[in-house]
Amino acid sequence: MSQPATLPLVSSLLDAPLPSSGMTWLDTARRENREAFAAGGLPDTRVEAWKYTALRALGQRRFGHVDDVAQRPAVDAPTLALPGVDGPRLVFVNGVFCADLSVLDRLPEGLTLQPLSQALRGDPEPLRFALSRHYREVGDAFARINAAYATDGVVLRVAAHAKIVAPVQLVFVGAAAETDLAWHVRNVIALGEGAELSLVEQYMAAGEQAQLATLVSDIELGEGARLQHVVLQNAAIGSSLIRRSSVRLQARAHATVHALELGGALVRHDLQADLVGDASRLDTRGIFMPHGRQHIDTQLAIRHQALHTVSSSNWRGVANDRARGVFRGAIVVAPGADGSDASLSNKNLLLSPAAEIDTKPELEIHADEVKAAHGATVGQLDERSLFYLRSRGIPQADARALLTAAFCRAVLDDLPNEVLRDHLSAMLIAQLPNT
Amino acid sequence: MTSELSQTSATMRDNADVAEVLGRSYSAGFITKIEMTGLPPGLDEGTVRAISAVKGEPAWMTEWRLQAYRHWLTMPQPDWAKLSIDPIDYQAISYYAAPKVQPKSLDEVDPALLETYEKLGIPLHERAALAGVAVDAVFDSVSVGTTFRKQLAAAGVLFCSMSEAIREYPDIVRKYLGSVVPTGDNFFAALNSAVFSDGSFVFIPRGVRCPMELSTYFRINAQNTGQFERTLIVAEEGSHVSYLEGCTAPKRDENQLHAAVVELVALEGAQIKYSTVQNWYPGDENGVGGIYNFVTKRGDCRGDDSKISWTQVETGSAITWKYPSVVLRGDRSVGEFYSVALTHHHQQADTGTKMIHLGKHTKSKIVSKGISAGRSSNSYRGLVKVEKGAEGARNYTQCDSLLIGKQCGAHTFPYMEVKNPSAIIEHEATTSKISDDQMFYCRSRGIAEEDAVSMIVDGFCKQVFRELPMEFAVEAKKLLEVSLEGAVG
Repeated sequence: MSQPATLPLVSSLLDAPLPSSGMTWLDTARRENREAFAAGGLPDTRVEAWKYTALRALGQRRFGHVDDVAQRPAVDAPTLALPGVDGPRLVFVNGVFCADLSVLDRLPEGLTLQPLSQALRGDPEPLRFALSRHYREVGDAFARINAAYATDGVVLRVAAHAKIVAPVQLVFVGAAAETDLAWHVRNVIALGEGAELSLVEQYMAAGEQAQLATLVSDIELGEGARLQHVVLQNAAIGSSLIRRSSVRLQARAHATVHALELGGALVRHDLQADLVGDASRLDTRGIFMPHGRQHIDTQLAIRHQALHTVSSSNWRGVANDRARGVFRGAIVVAPGADGSDASLSNKNLLLSPAAEIDTKPELEIHADEVKAAHGATVGQLDERSLFYLRSRGIPQADARALLTAAFCRAVLDDLPNEVLRDHLSAMLIAQLPNT
Repeated sequence: MTSELSQTSATMRDNADVAEVLGRSYSAGFITKIEMTGLPPGLDEGTVRAISAVKGEPAWMTEWRLQAYRHWLTMPQPDWAKLSIDPIDYQAISYYAAPKVQPKSLDEVDPALLETYEKLGIPLHERAALAGVAVDAVFDSVSVGTTFRKQLAAAGVLFCSMSEAIREYPDIVRKYLGSVVPTGDNFFAALNSAVFSDGSFVFIPRGVRCPMELSTYFRINAQNTGQFERTLIVAEEGSHVSYLEGCTAPKRDENQLHAAVVELVALEGAQIKYSTVQNWYPGDENGVGGIYNFVTKRGDCRGDDSKISWTQVETGSAITWKYPSVVLRGDRSVGEFYSVALTHHHQQADTGTKMIHLGKHTKSKIVSKGISAGRSSNSYRGLVKVEKGAEGARNYTQCDSLLIGKQCGAHTFPYMEVKNPSAIIEHEATTSKISDDQMFYCRSRGIAEEDAVSMIVDGFCKQVFRELPMEFAVEAKKLLEVSLEGAVG
């Protein structure tokens, strides 16, 4: 932890007035998390979880808070549409709920979907557990500031045994404003017993403005619930995005996450999963493609805490220009979590002499009836594959593009929504460097 | 106290057969009665000066130690490893102990000491003669006997204790000591630099292939004496040396601190092979006692086409904190790390390696096998770093863990940092237990359960044992069998 209050970032964030809810428990939690942030400041690279992501440059910047901006910037509704995603939609611009861009009529039966600000005015009690949390780890600075200042976000509930077929779309837009802004979003998502949900979480930009956004999501899957979760992160090139998702899976629940990390300046995503119910399962697939001077850091922590739990993770990284890709994939099998089966793979392509990849797969195993394996590679396209393609008359550049596209697309292979899959792979290919 | 202990060791001899049958016994557990002269417990600048004075060191060496000591004072004890270490009172440790009778040749060596080696199955003369191995035996803190000096001298190889080297070859020592592991490198290295008692020094001149395998047996003896060896091996251009280090320690109850530093320097085209079998006292089955083994080992492939290879079999110590590393500075240099680490009962090990690729077309290979049994915790921690200039660097890492029992832990923490796009880095790790199928197959063929386990473990470790010199491989295999007794059933 470093010089808390003296950092411009820390003092500018603390300048914002603490929101008041009228509820003692919430106001107390906010105040205490703010105090923790003020006392702890930002983690430095000596904190293991931030070893490869230095916050020195970010720490020197100042960000205003959203109330400073009188008027909401204009966002074009059609740009929000995603092929294959036609369910209800909740849109937040700079962390504030936008009713006019959202689509909340005709909600399917069993689905509750509303902004946090509304939910708190209505029935805050179910949110009490999530929102009164204290973040105690040294690396939790952004979760603390989020807990102190987030006033809006998504509250999504799926009733037991309800099957929500049309994908629900959550859109977070960072829009151009007069000053550099910081905004905070808090999401609480819960699937009841046997419920099913397809969810698309999207980050996008409506300007090149520098921003700092923190997002904290709690996702709870009841017994036998199923979640298909797609994350498309294509934030503005100037924005710093710090996200943390905590997923809890009860018995036989199954969550699948597909993540595309494309945009942003400094991007950090912590995905923490607890497999607390027997035979629960988590599959994560993802790709990070930093280019320019981007820094994308993905931190996976999967904890097997029950019998016969399964996790499989397949992540790819492509770093170009002066960019840096960071990946940590930690798997913990708790004592007694017999029959756990965990696998993790992280493959990376390093395309430029100034780019860097830091990867750290971890296994922490405390039970013996376990299958656990991980692998990580950093390298280039396979010379033999290139040679094969060239020997069939495909020019060097095309052959490279083809192989790189195949390398990236592997993470989308098992995404069931075909229309969305095609759209996402087209996006990936569009972002590939012209090799 | 001594009579009581010698009685114990006598009883142990008498009951050797019984002990072998009755599960795990620490076969090297006895205490040799040699009178000690040493410094009282405590550490300050006076202690450092006193050690330096006792050894008759030149002023620059004293200053070097003091600098390290002052640096050490400013450093916190590292806490990043996955180890739970009881606080160490550095003032309660005696930093220097030496056998009182200083022998001038092997014939003058205290018979009790020679007997110690005898009990360990290391008859100094015989073994040296039969196996053609020159042994520089470190008994506690001073070298007491050195063999084959003449034969080595004829080849131009310098092989002696570190204290002797500081007296006899100050220029070489001054040039290389601390050049691989600087005095302020880390907490334990700084401590070692300040108070190191003795160790081995090897110098292989240009173009010389060392005529025999060099070997040293380190042994902790006096109670409450930290052991701080310092080893320096320098291989000049085109030379070649294989060095064997083996450790056993007598049984005792208090934790002992062992913080060694080993530095290897390989100049152009030189090759150094460093093999270790570490069997310090691991504490009893309740986790009482045992050695704290906090070691800094690092090799520097300073010249082009040089090669450094570490092989280690770690079965002992209550706590192991050890990362033999290679800095691949020269172009086309090669670093290797082969490791078997076994933990049982309450042992903790956090061990691995670092491969730092700086030169072009450098290669490294890491094969690590961890076996955890009982309530132990066994972690592999490794770093593969490819710097910008390391064109065409190549690394292959394989880490496998084997779990025996429900209460142990096996962990893998590999770090990969790559800054050159032409590098290829691969890491693979698996964790599993001995499968029921494997056991059933062996049992159905009439193999006893413990034999089956040791067979499977032996197969699991084969890749590493292959890298050990012959006699070490046999010892290592035996060691694993003994260490795993009582782990199943």
